[in-house]
Amino acid sequence: MSKFIDRPRYACALGGALATLRAIPRAIPIIHASAGCGHNLQNAINPGAGYLGGGYCGGLALPSSNVAERDIVFGGENRLHEQIQSTLEIVDGSLYLVLTGCMVEMIGDDLEAVVSDFADSDKPVIAVHTPSFRGNSFTGYELVLSALIQKYITRQPEKKPNTVNILGIVPAQDVFWKGNLKEIKRLLEKLGLQVNTLFGEGETLEDIRNAGGASLNIVVSDVFGIEAARRFEDVHGIPYITTGFPIGVDGTYAFLLAAANALGIDKSQVETVIEEEKQLYYDYLERLADIYNDIDLQRFAVVVGDANYAPAITRFLSDELGWIPELAVITDLLDDAQKSTISKRFENYESGIQPTVRFDTDASSVKKYIAEIWPRNRNERYYDAFNPTVLVGSVFERELATAFGFPLLTVSYPVTNRVVLNRAYAGINGALSLVEDLLSILVAGR
Amino acid sequence: MNFLDAKSAPAREDRLKANIAFGGTCGSIKGCIKAGCFSEKGCLNLADRRFTQTQGCQFTLSLAILNTMRNAVIIMHAPIGCGTCSTGNVGVNQTFKRLRDPQAEGMIWLSTNLDEADVISGGEGKLREAVIYADREFRPETIIVANGCVPALIGDDIDSIIADLQTQVAASIVPIHCEGFKTKIMATAYDAVYHGILKKYIKKPDRRYNVAEPDLEKLKEQYRISRNVNVLNVSSMSRQDELELQRLLNAIGLNVTFIPCYAEPEDFEYSLESSLNISICGTHDDYFLEHIKEKYDIPFLIDTIPIGRKNTDRWILKIAGHFGLEKEAQQLITLENKLLDDSLEPFRKTLSGKSAFLAGGEVRIVATAEILQDLGMRVVGFKAHHFDQFIEPMFDALNDVDDVLMGVATNQPFEQSNLLNRLKPDVLIAHTGGNNISAKHGLPILPLFGPSYNYLGYSGVYEVARRLNRVLRNYQFNKRLSQNTKLPFKKEWYEKEPFAYIKSQA
Repeated sequence: MSKFIDRPRYACALGGALATLRAIPRAIPIIHASAGCGHNLQNAINPGAGYLGGGYCGGLALPSSNVAERDIVFGGENRLHEQIQSTLEIVDGSLYLVLTGCMVEMIGDDLEAVVSDFADSDKPVIAVHTPSFRGNSFTGYELVLSALIQKYITRQPEKKPNTVNILGIVPAQDVFWKGNLKEIKRLLEKLGLQVNTLFGEGETLEDIRNAGGASLNIVVSDVFGIEAARRFEDVHGIPYITTGFPIGVDGTYAFLLAAANALGIDKSQVETVIEEEKQLYYDYLERLADIYNDIDLQRFAVVVGDANYAPAITRFLSDELGWIPELAVITDLLDDAQKSTISKRFENYESGIQPTVRFDTDASSVKKYIAEIWPRNRNERYYDAFNPTVLVGSVFERELATAFGFPLLTVSYPVTNRVVLNRAYAGINGALSLVEDLLSILVAGR
Repeated sequence: MNFLDAKSAPAREDRLKANIAFGGTCGSIKGCIKAGCFSEKGCLNLADRRFTQTQGCQFTLSLAILNTMRNAVIIMHAPIGCGTCSTGNVGVNQTFKRLRDPQAEGMIWLSTNLDEADVISGGEGKLREAVIYADREFRPETIIVANGCVPALIGDDIDSIIADLQTQVAASIVPIHCEGFKTKIMATAYDAVYHGILKKYIKKPDRRYNVAEPDLEKLKEQYRISRNVNVLNVSSMSRQDELELQRLLNAIGLNVTFIPCYAEPEDFEYSLESSLNISICGTHDDYFLEHIKEKYDIPFLIDTIPIGRKNTDRWILKIAGHFGLEKEAQQLITLENKLLDDSLEPFRKTLSGKSAFLAGGEVRIVATAEILQDLGMRVVGFKAHHFDQFIEPMFDALNDVDDVLMGVATNQPFEQSNLLNRLKPDVLIAHTGGNNISAKHGLPILPLFGPSYNYLGYSGVYEVARRLNRVLRNYQFNKRLSQNTKLPFKKEWYEKEPFAYIKSQA
């Protein structure tokens, strides 16, 4: 049974579905719900994802049936029919997805029946059940992908060798998704792969429609996108692997190796790529040899984030940046099996550091864990304080950061205090950005 | 008016016959009012559209006020998505609170995260846990329980649960029934919030009274109250706006308290020791002020909004009239107008003759048009979120607008896009939301309100003029966007009449 959540760091299934469609050019959502659902979600996703905006036809331009109490006396089906019809008349899209809110699901509108009236339409119209009570944003991502996999993606019995799809990086919930996908694509292409990230730079609906020809799905997550990968396997016969979210040399190496193993690519090829990348990477990091050691830029760290970012950042801070991450808090709704998989990602650090790992959805919990991991100052003359410390989290950690005097870098959703365009934290280039951003905070006053 | 025995406030479609779908001119809408088109049996009652876009609900708009309340924790009794829009306010909200109290806390809210199991068996258990947690963890003065559609549909008896919980917690619990599906008039939110405030939040201050009170003390007290007024602020106005209104009312000898936004529970108590409640916007306040008058016998004034010179003059004079301070008010108005008029001259030189389209709340758009006319600009169209009786006094300050286009639509950027395409104004002054569409028309856009800048009073006129002048100087960003990005509507739509999708439900 689920519990209440103190300041949730995700929207609902409908929100996740809208954010996912926001990342697909010319896919038009038609919301069948109360008037406020789309507006409310837009006002979270836009600022939360570093000012993602409404784009082509999102935000307040989202077609929505806006059913109210008086409409539901007779059910919302007639109104939905009218809305789909008029959306097709007015809005210029290539694919239309009808997404539902709570109310119409509770009154039992027959979504499939209404949508089937449009089976002969020039452009496909697909129904997806996305009521808020079904789950959070990540659920919405899985639901939209599953619907596309089932009803839109062309079945291709012949698979193209060395062609992969990328799953598990959730648009908007991963605020830096577009930059991250670009970097992941770049790295995999160096292994000689054809990469379809579905939502990346320059990719279109055509790429999604053709995703059924891939020979492997790579889920860059231990928890997100796995439903979709399973659906791909059932419907299109594409096997999948899951990997950790790669940040830095170690993460990237493990990631590329997992992909190579699954595709039967020789390990030596991965090693060649990593050697090349390392050269470039350390050419930059070499610059920091001075300032890092001149003024002692090592820090304690607390990492608060989702199941992708928290393990990846914590390990990177420990094993590559040489910091002391003492605490990691993972803020997703997870079951015990998922928690156990993610906990393993915090084991066997080369540095020997063993961060305390907590799973907690509540914004108010983080400070309690800090009190738990570090003894308080009981007026000792000599006190080994938990500082200097940097907090890596979301904007919900700002008050905590202020209270403890910790500098804060916001990485995990919501990130309302930054404007995010093509920045990445994944891979090799992402690691450089992360180092830039973290150390820039520390030298900002100089 | 007394709806306080009811569980929740009535929808404005019913109470005020408010409308969200109309297309015509300022002249024709006045005609429609006279002809009774908006009345219960009228052709415009419950009018709507065959194509609609998302528009906000009373839950989200309720949060705009509730989020400003100090020392409060909000419990969103709903599935996890409802109220997630608060995410966008965590920073600005804290900043604005700290303009009133440097120690103020940021926003805290809990979602009861209703899931499929709760839809079947009810959400009572989670609501109880959340309320108890909020009380123990944060020790707030107030716990606000705002419910979404799902608890309303499954029939959670929130008021009874809260009555029971009230005996177990230190905070006072205020239920706000604001389920979105109840109304399409978002502004019903104001009534929903005030309904809760009137029932559970506002109470007389707990003063210590002397057994024998000297007459002089009593007189002093009476005099103090006779000079106290409350100004009902709105979450779309800024601290600078408050300071400007306070300056103007202080100048004629009145003391001002601002409620409800950013107020503390105590401010509400002291607001009952006052001789006049002053609205700046009928759309926000009529439900509250009518009830306060009935319950506490405090008279109120709902007239115009102090935006633009004529409206500000009128607002001050109406208030002064209540206290017999007309002479003082007139002196102030003359002085302020002289100073402002001279200062606007340079802007008139650059702005005069430019055309503008205004979109947003009915009261604000028409009032802002007065500033534009003052600057010699031409209003070519209005689009109001909704339409009701409170718009009427606003037209008095304008010249020659009978032929100006007037559309009524809560957001609906498709209709606005068609209008902008036809009218081709030099500038758009618009409420937030939908600028991903408007910007692609390649024109300069000025926000219709500024929670962080001055818009009201005389100083507000100058600030709006100054900003308008600036955004018109360079709008390359929007111009380049329009050249390189596409609008999502088919070209056939731009060939149709802008109001072609409006349907009457009568």
